[in-house]
Amino acid sequence: MHLHRYEKIWLWLGGAGLAIFITLLAINAFAMGMQPPSDMQMIDPQKVDQTPPFDKPGLKQIGEKEYDAYMTAFAFSYAPSVIEVPVGSKINFHVTSKDVVHGFEIPKTNINFMVVPGHVNSASMTFDKPGEYLILCNEYCGAGHHVMATKIIVK
Amino acid sequence: MRPDPTPSKKNQEKQVNTDTEPLKGTFTSVLLLGAFIVVCWVAVFALFLNRA
Repeated sequence: MHLHRYEKIWLWLGGAGLAIFITLLAINAFAMGMQPPSDMQMIDPQKVDQTPPFDKPGLKQIGEKEYDAYMTAFAFSYAPSVIEVPVGSKINFHVTSKDVVHGFEIPKTNINFMVVPGHVNSASMTFDKPGEYLILCNEYCGAGHHVMATKIIVK
Repeated sequence: MRPDPTPSKKNQEKQVNTDTEPLKGTFTSVLLLGAFIVVCWVAVFALFLNRA
């Protein structure tokens, strides 16, 4: 098949781009440990209140400066309502929904995922700067969606 | 009427040498569009790494 010289150049560039993206994806996934925010752990959304650890939402210290945060999302709030940790703490969020699909976003950070009922959705973040961090719902969940928020206080 | 199996003179005239076709503009546009996509992607990825 005959191809124009320019066509050959941009086909090679496109092919090289594809190879670079696939390589970067593999490095991200396997070397840097970037995973989607669902670890395939399932939960009965109607029995969240009876299922540990979500029956008592809150922080659980698992290391010197590392915490597991078990949180529930529901119309139109989160539990626990306030989280407080010292500066430099790493929080592993594990969030599930008691009703519909909610969002879980901490603006200006990489924490942003959907809270799907029936799933335990997870993400981790180290809080190196003190301050108040907003957690908000960014999936329309009903009439009170706009007030659905909570905060993390980093001291 | 049966179609004529031999190519007509009109069709033969349409065959041009592709290497002499002016593709320079197309080439430049493709590279510019590609560069724009790459710059956008790098910017977003840098933001992501910066916040990680």
